[in-house]
Amino acid sequence: MTIPRATPDPSDTRRDHGPMPDRQVSVGDGTRGPLVTVLLPTHNRRRYLPEALVSVLRQTYRHLEIFVIRDGGEEVSDIIRSFHDPRVVFIDRKDNRGKPHSLNEALARARGKYVAYLDDDDVFYPGHVGTLVDVLEGSTDCRVAYSDLYKTYCEVTPGGDRRVLSKHVEISRDFDRFMMLYFNHVLHVSLMHRRDLLDKTGLYNEQLNILIDWDITRRLAFFSDFHHVVTVTGEFYSPLGECDRISYQRRKDAQDYLRNVVAIRTTRPPKPWPKMKDLSIILIVDRCDERAVNAILRIWRHTFHPYTLRIPLSPADIRRLNVDMPNVDPVPVKPLSTPAEKVDAALRRCAGDYVALVPDRMIIEEMWVERPLYALMHSTAREGFLLEGATPQCWAAVLRRADLDQARRAHTHLPVEASLAAAGIRVREPKEEELPFQFDEWLRQAKIAEADGNWPTAARLFERMGERFGNQRWMKAAAARAYFESRDYSRAGQLSRQVNTECPTVDTLLLEAKVRRRERDYGTAIRLLAQAEQTLGGCTPVPAHPEAALSLV
Amino acid sequence: MNTARTNDADRHKKAQHYEVLRELGDCHTSVGNYTEAQRCYEKAASLGPDEPGPYVGLGVAAIQKNKLDEAEIAFRVACRLDPNCAKAYAGLAMVAQQRRDFPQAFDLYLRSLELDTDSIAALLGMFQVSCEMHSFAKIIYYLEVYLQMHPGDTSVMFALAALYLKDNRPERSETMLLDLLSLEPAHRDAANLLEEVRHTLAGAI
Repeated sequence: MTIPRATPDPSDTRRDHGPMPDRQVSVGDGTRGPLVTVLLPTHNRRRYLPEALVSVLRQTYRHLEIFVIRDGGEEVSDIIRSFHDPRVVFIDRKDNRGKPHSLNEALARARGKYVAYLDDDDVFYPGHVGTLVDVLEGSTDCRVAYSDLYKTYCEVTPGGDRRVLSKHVEISRDFDRFMMLYFNHVLHVSLMHRRDLLDKTGLYNEQLNILIDWDITRRLAFFSDFHHVVTVTGEFYSPLGECDRISYQRRKDAQDYLRNVVAIRTTRPPKPWPKMKDLSIILIVDRCDERAVNAILRIWRHTFHPYTLRIPLSPADIRRLNVDMPNVDPVPVKPLSTPAEKVDAALRRCAGDYVALVPDRMIIEEMWVERPLYALMHSTAREGFLLEGATPQCWAAVLRRADLDQARRAHTHLPVEASLAAAGIRVREPKEEELPFQFDEWLRQAKIAEADGNWPTAARLFERMGERFGNQRWMKAAAARAYFESRDYSRAGQLSRQVNTECPTVDTLLLEAKVRRRERDYGTAIRLLAQAEQTLGGCTPVPAHPEAALSLV
Repeated sequence: MNTARTNDADRHKKAQHYEVLRELGDCHTSVGNYTEAQRCYEKAASLGPDEPGPYVGLGVAAIQKNKLDEAEIAFRVACRLDPNCAKAYAGLAMVAQQRRDFPQAFDLYLRSLELDTDSIAALLGMFQVSCEMHSFAKIIYYLEVYLQMHPGDTSVMFALAALYLKDNRPERSETMLLDLLSLEPAHRDAANLLEEVRHTLAGAI
């Protein structure tokens, strides 16, 4: 397969400038494609490690280097030796130092152009690496790609065997940078990225003990869009009775969990950021007192968009300021400076795209700045947006830095709000449809409808969500199920067939089979169910309607 | 905590593989692949040991292979797992019917019908058994009740017409057949039976 020549982009800040040479990438064996590094850290999972490793060694894409890193715990060198595969590099460490350290240790030795990841109790399907390499070497300008995974619920027998009860694609979400800043929506095992991106993002944070995958995917989002491959290429296991690790950690030590979350959210990789806008928050305080400190702490706790917090203070107050937090920039101003003078002083130090002006008596809660900021990012008008809870007595807003700067230069003698009006910059409240996470709010409503047994409403919501927000495969599958429950079997059959033509899952195969059986089309039902059973038994799924899939090529 | 939602979440995690195998077994049964059906039901039973469905399926497959003892065991397991499993009682009735124990078959079909008033299989089984026993009063009653709830069901109408004739009520039989033919003018069996009824009526005059 010949990859088309990429068009050079003058704004491209990547090191390899100029047009990409034509490449021949053979998905079948990958011997002439770029080297891919697969990282497989392991700790006390002797029972499942062989299956995980086999799934890597059996990739149709062959040009791999596979790092297995023993992070203390049980010996596994005998297992590794038994494979006799020269592509495997075994790092055998006796002491347990955590997953981030294990990954960094391997990355220090990695040579691949791309990096992929596998946990020692999960599996890739044979086409996983080839599918993602194909995309990254192809016409996308993304340097990160990810696929869909089955979450496999299983029972573990006394002997340690895993008996599969179900496989579900629970999330199949197209890349959403704003969501990624708030929380992760890309599974680590589904991810592949260019290794040289880590020169920009930095390596794995060894101070974190959970959510390390979100930390890296969030940082990658500063430098690249992610290409979502809507294909199931692997599985991660969820034994019944075992707590979800994140939920467990959250319950066990809420403060530690919060520490990890805030540490991630306040991480700012070195600039330039080709894909991320920066925000300066100017906190307007009278003095460094308890109210000011509380405001700082609340900003630190509740803000998820990357920011720098600039606090205009007198030199004496700067000396009194005793907060050990990242991204805080005290700005020296004369005592008795007016609010406008404080803003001007801080503004001179702002380098990002957006500025939020916040008095310390402002109520700061979840999404306090992100909601109006999102509206501003998607606005084409010359305007700013009020923060939620802003009043004429407690005025707070987010603006484009260039607009604020221009208004202040032209009308320095006026208060900030008046100078914006004089410069013709309107500041208003965002409308409901301008706010972020519309998809998630609709999803919440649809799930409520499902739980209430209101299937027709749920079905319509899912279909409209697919039309309006994307995530088509996910929404079609959800709508198909809701239509089936509401006894609209015709529509359920249409939607499930559409999904099964391109990317079947066990759920959609089962659903379409039930519809076909109702229609007494037993032959088709048997074929679909047999395919579902194959997938549950461990075989790679293929399109349920191959003859229809061929017509798409 | 919402118990209903927790139960749904548990079912979501546990039931899929079982459901695939059970559906596959049912489909194989529908096309007569009883060996394949049995394989699927056995696997389904191991995944859902508390579910009666696979055992009902195994019983049906065994009946088709004329393995009545095996079928009876399977249906009894299903009844034990779910005392309200109408299909299991219908299955036991079929076994009894095959063994020509018609009174027991009738009672088991009746039990099945009490659990599922829409069970056409139970009704038609009762019809067949009643004909064997030459005892029509009870089955006529249940068919009339069913027809009240499902007006226009021509298979039940035809069965009733035949029973009325056997029960020496040719006038009622004629009325029923005329109603049936108004719904399905091309119903050949009904037309033939109507001719027979009219012949009987003519002979009675």
